[in-house]
Amino acid sequence: MPTTKPNPKFAEELSKLNKKLNFMSVINSSANGKSLFSVKDNLCVKGFESRAGSKILSGYIPPFNATAVQRMLDSGYEFVGKTVMDEFGFGSFGTNTDIVAKNPFDETRVAGGSSSGAAVATAVIKNHVAIAESTGGSISNPASFCGVVGFTPTYGTISRYGLIDYANSLDKVGVMGRRAADIRAAFDRIKGADNYDSTCSDSKISSTPTKKLMIIEQLMKGIDSKVLSSFDLLLSKMQGMGYKVEHASLDIIDKAIPAYYIISMAEASTNLAKYDGYKYGEQGKDFTKKYNDFFCDARSSFGIEAKRRIVLGTFVRSASVKDKYYIKALKFRTALTSKLSSILKDSFLISPTMPTVAPKIDEAAGLSLIKAYSMDSLTIPPNLSGLPHISFPCGYANGMPIGAQLISSHFNDYALLDFVESWEKSFKYEFKYNL
Amino acid sequence: MKIGLEVHVALPTKSKLFCACSTDATEPNSSICPICMGFPGSKPMLNRAALDYASNVSRTLGCMPAQMVSFVRKVYFYPDLPKSYQITQLQEPVGVDGSVEISSKKVKIRRIQLEEDPAKIIRESGYTLMDFNRSGIPLLEIVTEPDIASEEELREFLGELRSILYYVGINIEKELKVDLNISLSKARVEVKNVTGIRNLVDAANYEIKRQTELTSKGKEVVQETRSYNEAEVRTESSREKESDEEYGFIFEPDLTSYKLPSSNAKVVLASKVAREYSRKYGAKEKTILELIQFDRESYALMDHAKDKAEMQKIIAVIELLKKYESTGIGNEKFEELLEIAKSGAQINAELIKKVKSGQRVETSSVNLQSIDKEITTMIKNHKELLKEYEKNPKAFNFIVGEVAAKLKANPRDVAIRLRAVLEKGFKD
Repeated sequence: MPTTKPNPKFAEELSKLNKKLNFMSVINSSANGKSLFSVKDNLCVKGFESRAGSKILSGYIPPFNATAVQRMLDSGYEFVGKTVMDEFGFGSFGTNTDIVAKNPFDETRVAGGSSSGAAVATAVIKNHVAIAESTGGSISNPASFCGVVGFTPTYGTISRYGLIDYANSLDKVGVMGRRAADIRAAFDRIKGADNYDSTCSDSKISSTPTKKLMIIEQLMKGIDSKVLSSFDLLLSKMQGMGYKVEHASLDIIDKAIPAYYIISMAEASTNLAKYDGYKYGEQGKDFTKKYNDFFCDARSSFGIEAKRRIVLGTFVRSASVKDKYYIKALKFRTALTSKLSSILKDSFLISPTMPTVAPKIDEAAGLSLIKAYSMDSLTIPPNLSGLPHISFPCGYANGMPIGAQLISSHFNDYALLDFVESWEKSFKYEFKYNL
Repeated sequence: MKIGLEVHVALPTKSKLFCACSTDATEPNSSICPICMGFPGSKPMLNRAALDYASNVSRTLGCMPAQMVSFVRKVYFYPDLPKSYQITQLQEPVGVDGSVEISSKKVKIRRIQLEEDPAKIIRESGYTLMDFNRSGIPLLEIVTEPDIASEEELREFLGELRSILYYVGINIEKELKVDLNISLSKARVEVKNVTGIRNLVDAANYEIKRQTELTSKGKEVVQETRSYNEAEVRTESSREKESDEEYGFIFEPDLTSYKLPSSNAKVVLASKVAREYSRKYGAKEKTILELIQFDRESYALMDHAKDKAEMQKIIAVIELLKKYESTGIGNEKFEELLEIAKSGAQINAELIKKVKSGQRVETSSVNLQSIDKEITTMIKNHKELLKEYEKNPKAFNFIVGEVAAKLKANPRDVAIRLRAVLEKGFKD
């Protein structure tokens, strides 16, 4: 647990910086800078507005804490605030919401997504870890863009109770920090079985090392040259440290993106079905309307990306095409997981985290949908297969951080933290702010 | 005629299917929580007691034992459904391919599934109220094949099913909700949401009559969904097309797969027991069935029988207990009562009360031998009556009365003995 002397002016300084970088939607004014943790806006914190970046949940103040939040509080960490995100986690740049976080290295650039605020908070606050969540890369991506460490554990090791769902079979609560050791400390406190989440277990987390780093050829297409040269530098350093770098070919990995979007949208469209404007969040006003009309009115508050995913998700699970899309994608997930697991038996998978450095905010807005969805090509495979992965800074290009991503086999999460801890002995991360 | 049913039964668990809320709250919206209200962030946790009940029903109905059970989301939009999807079952239900035996046939059970009840909608004039106490109550849906072919079969099936559920610990007197599929010719008519057994039989009869009339007039029966109007005892078109249903089922990703719990609980099929006892002890099958169909205690008491005569006594005592509404007597007290009955003493409300409260009961020394002895004496003295007893029940009753009065014995017992003596053929 990172500790230091309390700073009475901390909340004030935090608010000031937040005005500049837009990374928190709620600040706990009593926080004083000592062993802090922030919480992604899609995790419930009792008594604090939790709206998963969506207008439709404005005013939703959960009557309970998410299990991860409760366990952090019970361990003596102090809640500092809710971090902003793409609406319900739908995005790669943090731009699909009303509060767009800015990259601390360059305010004209995005912070990544969907855990945009969590990555910025980690990049600007010293004694802090961020509790975030990843469905298809929402921890790795912003961690890479903002130059912090982002850890996504094996599916089912941290309880999802209190997580406002995006796609339940893919959603994983995880941790961001400035050092792997900080992440390990938080992870040890929040992991483990929970009476409120049937998919979370007490499986033993191992720390089996390997000196083999595997690169999947198909994933190395379309990567920016600056990112590539930084990644190559990392590889040669690793080879110097006794690691062997090998290449493997895995044709089917190209289908990971469509399979991911089909499953995640199918589940998301059912999760978003509940927002009907009369029990919590934004309240409908005209109760004289017929239910269908009332319901449609309430749902006009969804952003465009949420609406798109509801429509597509509803389509892919409809009776006439379900086998062609939803069921096929589920089968693909099983096949991919088995292929990846066999590669991971005696090696780590390694790649850059993102194909580029953080794009400019207006560039990101101008990307076609296909290009935007393809930004996640490197982070989707481990997320789809529920494999633990970690993104860590491995270099800088023109002042912007570049991240590498390491993947291990199910429940071998500690091996990833061990790897990054040893990396940190020879590589110093850069931070522009140190609140 | 083909009738198929989808029977929805509320399971008597203490808490709801996916949360710890109590199932027996009365004050509206007093037994609710973030889970059964579907609040963002909440997740369901399966109540294993509901799975136990479901497993027992599945076993009793002779379903193929399910390896694993899993759940799906059935998505539709209605204000009574807090998550806008119902957690139910599709590919791996609790049971498939079972049956219920009635006197004329086996009614096949297609599937049994576990699901959550939606909230209750209370419609008032000009506004609607919602009570979420019911949201998340565990329901068991039992789907039959369209094997029921008459009102009699329908009644018998329902009695049999109710009895089976009763012995699993589920009383469906009040909570029975049924979708009725009924077709006399080609077109299948579905009458949705009929509550209670009487309404169900009435709705079926109405449909039989309506469809018969249409057919006899040469008109076609429209394939449609109808609802039942209880006040007017008739079904009405709901103006919905069946084919419009699109639920977009997906696997429920918040739950895992569950092994169906195995159970050693005894399977009791009351009608089978009645048949067996009738064969073994010569008592009337119908009488036994009536006594035990919804009465676990009577069933247990009949276990005491060692022979035909004792079974008759037991049945007589159980009937008396029922007559005097004196249930819950327990084994020991029942034995005592049975002994008193065997001694020939008359059992009445007062005596039952005494035995129940543990008071000593002075029984006369009347026993079967003394009854037989007195009967013999009576017959010897009234040979002329004996000749007429078959034609003249008065003669029979006269002897019973005399003997009972003399010995202060139970006239019923005397009658039983007298008949036995006469049937054996009285020898001078």
